[in-house]
Amino acid sequence: MATQSVLAFVGPSVNWWALLPQMILLGAALLIMLVSALAPKQTSTPFVTVTTMCAAITSYIVATGLWNDVQRDGPSSSIASAFGIDGFSIFFTMLILVALAATALLSHGYLDKEGIDAPEFHALLLCSAAGAIVMASANDLVVMFIGLEALSIGLYVMIAMHDRRQEARESAIKYFVLGAFSSAFLLYGIALTYGATGSTNLIHIRDYLGAVVFRDQHLLMAAMALLLVGLSFKVAAAPFHFWAPDVYQGAPSPVTGWMASVAKAAGFAALLRIFFAAFASHRIDWTPIVSVLAAVTLVVGAVMAILQNDVKRMLAFSSVSHAGYVLIAVQAATDQGTAAALFYLFTYTFMVLGTFAVVGAMGRDDDHPLANYAGLGRSRPVLAIGFTILLLAQAGIPTTSGFVAKFQVIAAAVNNKNYVLAGLAMITAVVGAFMYLRIVMAMYVDNEEQKSSVPSWHWSTKVVVIAMVGFTLLAGLVPQFLIEFAEDAVPILIRG
Amino acid sequence: MVAQNIFFGILAAIVAISALRMVTTRNIVHAALYLVAVLAGLGALYVLLTAEFVATTQVLVYIGAVMVLFLFGIMLTKAPLGNVMEMTGRQWPLAAVVAALLGGVTIYSLVDRFGSERLNTDGPIYRTADVSDEVFSTYIVPFEAVSVLLLAALIGAIVLARKD
Amino acid sequence: MDVTTGWYLVLGALLFVIGGTGLLIRRNPLVMLMCVELMLNGVNLSLVAFAQRLDDIGGQTVVFFVLVVAAAEVVVGLGLVVAILRRRPGTTADDLSTLRG
Repeated sequence: MATQSVLAFVGPSVNWWALLPQMILLGAALLIMLVSALAPKQTSTPFVTVTTMCAAITSYIVATGLWNDVQRDGPSSSIASAFGIDGFSIFFTMLILVALAATALLSHGYLDKEGIDAPEFHALLLCSAAGAIVMASANDLVVMFIGLEALSIGLYVMIAMHDRRQEARESAIKYFVLGAFSSAFLLYGIALTYGATGSTNLIHIRDYLGAVVFRDQHLLMAAMALLLVGLSFKVAAAPFHFWAPDVYQGAPSPVTGWMASVAKAAGFAALLRIFFAAFASHRIDWTPIVSVLAAVTLVVGAVMAILQNDVKRMLAFSSVSHAGYVLIAVQAATDQGTAAALFYLFTYTFMVLGTFAVVGAMGRDDDHPLANYAGLGRSRPVLAIGFTILLLAQAGIPTTSGFVAKFQVIAAAVNNKNYVLAGLAMITAVVGAFMYLRIVMAMYVDNEEQKSSVPSWHWSTKVVVIAMVGFTLLAGLVPQFLIEFAEDAVPILIRG
Repeated sequence: MVAQNIFFGILAAIVAISALRMVTTRNIVHAALYLVAVLAGLGALYVLLTAEFVATTQVLVYIGAVMVLFLFGIMLTKAPLGNVMEMTGRQWPLAAVVAALLGGVTIYSLVDRFGSERLNTDGPIYRTADVSDEVFSTYIVPFEAVSVLLLAALIGAIVLARKD
Repeated sequence: MDVTTGWYLVLGALLFVIGGTGLLIRRNPLVMLMCVELMLNGVNLSLVAFAQRLDDIGGQTVVFFVLVVAAAEVVVGLGLVVAILRRRPGTTADDLSTLRG
């Protein structure tokens, strides 16, 4: 049998075109490392930033081409059906590339200022972006797991790279231990899914679950629970959020922005692909659990955020509560709900990157008492307005994208007749708004003796903040284009 | 089947007891050595399950490479070698709840589904060549994706080790 | 009574639970890393047992990838632990208190 199969071995066909976005990123990572090894003098921070930006833009253009292909020819999957090419994967590819470009720009000023090696940082950033794209495109649980690990390992090291700051190292260890713990849960969930269905391929799992009536499905339930716990850690959903405040606070601000946007988006991409697309026939089993998770996350995120006095910790809990809103959309288990989740994640990425750009420019990494922001409205009026808009968008004030996103999520819950969760979402939105308003108030309160010494802003920070504010307002005023984009990006599992 | 039963019993006892001791021992070098016992016992169990490739890589990668890394880690950090009481009371209730819940749910569901399923003794025996076929056909994407992971780990290790 | 697939799976689950509990109660970062290895080994045993029962080679192949991931995690994890402990020997996770827990 062995010799026969060797002779008859035919490798699967590969759609190289679809793999191009992440191959460009990896190529850029290798190029940066190569040039930094051969010509250390020439690898200045500007060179590295430009390389990363070029890779992100080229990759984005390729992704746009792929999007048009998918809209014309319909979704497909490649390489033994393990790699999905559908609107969903390209949507997340674009989201991750936007975050990559913003983080590369933000780190530009930061790396020089703090004396961190730019080539290694950018190579890791590119690797973790490639991992996130693999995770969002995976049609196979093993591929998803490996993408997640590539994303996380890049992140652990990026957090710890600041070698003079012990807090960064400590938060890296914390994130590492909990990340490894949650990966183990996810992996055990994958193993039990394999045991229950006989495959790790999501297409096979979907077909199997749709065709077979289980005599007893305890094993599948346990598998789902483990997968959910593992992914809840990654997206910082309560009660698995307890690492978030410490890690967000200790990590360098550009990395915090990357973690809050991409790690969360990739985690939700995996959650949606596994639960919404592959476990669709068992939605009765998992929607109640996700609903409870959403409710707990909303309450914890909103209440704990109020109790904080450090801006970075406040924003960590705000990121927890955002995970709660996305979970509301996930538990709807409808196309409408999934589109709402995608819309939310896309707009949230812009808001959170802009917010952490401002936070990063406010000075030290780990110490952000609210008092530091006093008088910002007077000393830096334009950027204070930008920060205000980003915070109000996170609070869900009309004319910003945050309002449309929350509205869609709640509409999905109402259409699903889940009025309790919809009501809870509205209440926690009001409670949460209080926290954002506290920061805004602090900025505009006139405090004469606290002429806070705001460091000068690097031009790249300004570019990022302006771009993010612009998009937040654009998507708030004319959201239709993004709504249609999200509706076309609902995941579809298809063979071949 | 009798030999299978006896060997499973012996190996399972070694693995389970070593795992428990690893978690409870206060000496970090002992913990590492108990982990070696667990890994070796598992390698033997893989042979019982006719998974020759996994058994070999278990010995080569885990016992050969990962454990050496751990011992180097212990050496490099000058970890205290004597009895160090470092278990905290704070986490005990949480740990007990997690263990009971996790163990209860998984073991119940596994026994429920596979408790009476006999081992598959008349199926084909998969050799390493079959594993390689599978790696380069069905699992070619993870195989390629692993390269991203290893690149990240490589750069990460250099970054962390180079300075201070 | 013959050994069934269930016995192997229960052993795998036990290893996973022991590792997970250990990670929660132990405070030495190196031992916590070992506990993660224990959990992953529990998963590996389950995968091989499933593969044997389902007469499918996929499970064994997945173990190969888990091995790679585990090795990569250990490399980065030990790098982090060594970097932090070299500066402050004898640190336990509780001492990492610059940040509140």
